[in-house]
Amino acid sequence: MAIASLQFPPPIRRRLTVAPRDYERRDRAVELFEAGELLAAVHETLGYLLPALSPHDLAQGPLCFVQGTARVRLRLEDGRLVVSSALMAMREGAQATAVLRYALTRLSATGQLFQPRLQEGVLSLEFGDRLSLLHPLKLIEVLQRLPTESDNHDGWLQQRFGVDAADREPLAALEEAELALALEIWRAHWEAVDRLLLESRRRRSVRFLDSLGSWAANQVRYALPLHGSVRATLNEAADEFTDKDENPNRRDTALSRCCREMRQVGEEELRRCLGHASYAINPLHEGTPSLLSSVLGGQRLQTSGELRAAGRYLESALELVADYLYLLADHSWPETIDHKLQAALAEVSGRPWREVAATLWSHANQIARQFGSSAGGDEEDNDGN
Amino acid sequence: MATDATHPLEDIERLGVYQVYTGTGTGSGFLIDATHLLTNCHVVQPYREVAVEMRDKTRIVGRVRRVHPHRDLAILELARPVDGEVLALSDGAHLKPKQPVHILGFPVGLPLSLTEGVISHVRQLLDEQFFLQTDAAINPGNSGGPMLDDQRRIIAVTTCKLNAAESVGFGIPIADVRQFVEAFHAQVVPFGVHCPTCDELIDRAVRYCPSCGADLETHHDFGDYFEAPELHPLTVFVERALAESEIDPVLARHGSHNWSFHVGSAPIKIWCCCSEHLNFSSPMAQTPNKGLDELFGFLLSAEHAPYGFDLVGSTVRLNLVVHISDVFAPDEHAHLVERVRKFVHKADAVDNLLIQQYGCQPAPETQTEQLKSEHGA
Repeated sequence: MAIASLQFPPPIRRRLTVAPRDYERRDRAVELFEAGELLAAVHETLGYLLPALSPHDLAQGPLCFVQGTARVRLRLEDGRLVVSSALMAMREGAQATAVLRYALTRLSATGQLFQPRLQEGVLSLEFGDRLSLLHPLKLIEVLQRLPTESDNHDGWLQQRFGVDAADREPLAALEEAELALALEIWRAHWEAVDRLLLESRRRRSVRFLDSLGSWAANQVRYALPLHGSVRATLNEAADEFTDKDENPNRRDTALSRCCREMRQVGEEELRRCLGHASYAINPLHEGTPSLLSSVLGGQRLQTSGELRAAGRYLESALELVADYLYLLADHSWPETIDHKLQAALAEVSGRPWREVAATLWSHANQIARQFGSSAGGDEEDNDGN
Repeated sequence: MATDATHPLEDIERLGVYQVYTGTGTGSGFLIDATHLLTNCHVVQPYREVAVEMRDKTRIVGRVRRVHPHRDLAILELARPVDGEVLALSDGAHLKPKQPVHILGFPVGLPLSLTEGVISHVRQLLDEQFFLQTDAAINPGNSGGPMLDDQRRIIAVTTCKLNAAESVGFGIPIADVRQFVEAFHAQVVPFGVHCPTCDELIDRAVRYCPSCGADLETHHDFGDYFEAPELHPLTVFVERALAESEIDPVLARHGSHNWSFHVGSAPIKIWCCCSEHLNFSSPMAQTPNKGLDELFGFLLSAEHAPYGFDLVGSTVRLNLVVHISDVFAPDEHAHLVERVRKFVHKADAVDNLLIQQYGCQPAPETQTEQLKSEHGA
């Protein structure tokens, strides 16, 4: 039986309230670096990236901040700044060869400034360089990418390879009511994905598959504070089924396989992977007016309106829903915009496709006009999913 | 026409056709005698020294002696005689449409390759010059290579193709090539550039042609041929680091912001993957089937910092990443140059270690002959 509507309960994942980046601090860090004030440049860079942390003098001692389940440590050592984050500790019975190969193939790479290092059985991501070679833009790159990589490989390494956790920040457990709701969201979501996948195959439309894949991944990212092995498996699959350059048949197969795997995830495993985390550095992209315009306005919105006018309510609604979830799951917004985007989803929760398409279309039009860039849509090469 | 069994193009490896490397790209060229290679002007410009790669992957310097920007021809003098077979120049008579054409060269950087077609037009007029037109496949990297007839005689020099069309390629007619080579044999100056208007050879930077009075600055950036090319700061940094690592930067050039060379047995590649990172990488060995824990533990050891290893398939690579901001910090260049020098020497040392101590196999690009001599030593 065709699915009649989708549910959008309030997210259990806590929305991040982050101040917009103070780019003047970044520029000041560059000025300090160019003036030879090397340590001051590092401190100013930290102030730019970690405004919530009180000013910290690295000369007085190391600094540790938390990014999800990663603890990131900074210390001065013989005129060098060392940034490191432990990933896991080897132990008897672990799949040592597999985990070390994984580190060498997936964590090591050209084109990245930090590398995995193994010391006394502990695998860490590490970067170190002289202060005189720490241009603020270089340090910003390290401090944005290393913690994210570390956070992404947290419990997953333990669960997949049987290694021990090392210096990880524990997740804050969900309250019982939150957990019950999370499990219900999870179950209902993958059941809906399964049914819409059947619809996608019936329609044989790449555009429908685009929307479906985007919604399948971003609904979970938006609603649930998911970590560990389940998040890693979902992200890996989503890389393939949302890849518009990939063959549609392969994407369809990847989504189908992912849906099957996600529905087979046991309650115990899901409980382990759910929990609230805190982030010293905003892990989301900063939403911009031009992004709002390109995703919720311009040609994209026009096409969605045309679909609706032609009576293709499901396609129109699913596209709009996927776009809203993409904006919320991957981006941080000023509170007003964040509330408006969430409220729109809440309004259409459980409503028939025709109503979803009409309501979100009007809402998107209004949001793009009110908060989008004055230049209008389509100037940013970002189609939302 | 010869049968397949006795076809004169059966063994192309021994022919004197070689790949030319510069700081902007690669092309092809062929011997006109043991120490001179003919290629396209656009393959070598704006350089006065380029690299020519032999079949065993060693490279020698080719010094540009004569260029004809308008006719797109250049002659290089090689640092030493090479033993590839010198192909004969055809007299250009009896060429006719539908006659088979064989093109030798290094398309898209691949090893020496042969493509075939027919002459589509013997004297096609394009941009006020005549070309031999063919339907044989021509790709970037083929430029400067020879077009041959069935008797393995050069009938044209590959120069370009029409991008907007399929199977429309062009060669510089052999009569023009012959004239260029004969004039070169009489050349006494170390370097000369043909005036694009009257063909006079000019050996110094001048505004007006001494013979015909043409304003040379309006033609093909004429003055650039007499000046060292202006290099990007990134190129300046890398080439300084290579020079201090006792690597000839000219021989290492492999296109724009790319370098490749061997140190001992180890292959080393340098490239920019984005606007922020300069990568140094040596794909040095392949993993064995046993003893992997010990090998992987060694590769991940913190002792290698600031260098790191990774695995691509079964190939072990030693890597160094330099941030672009470092390149623009000249006060730190001495330190960074030393970092690169140590990387180069570490690559040469570690590939031996991986093979001898950890049971690795040489990587596909390892200079195994060099490896044997290092083992012997």
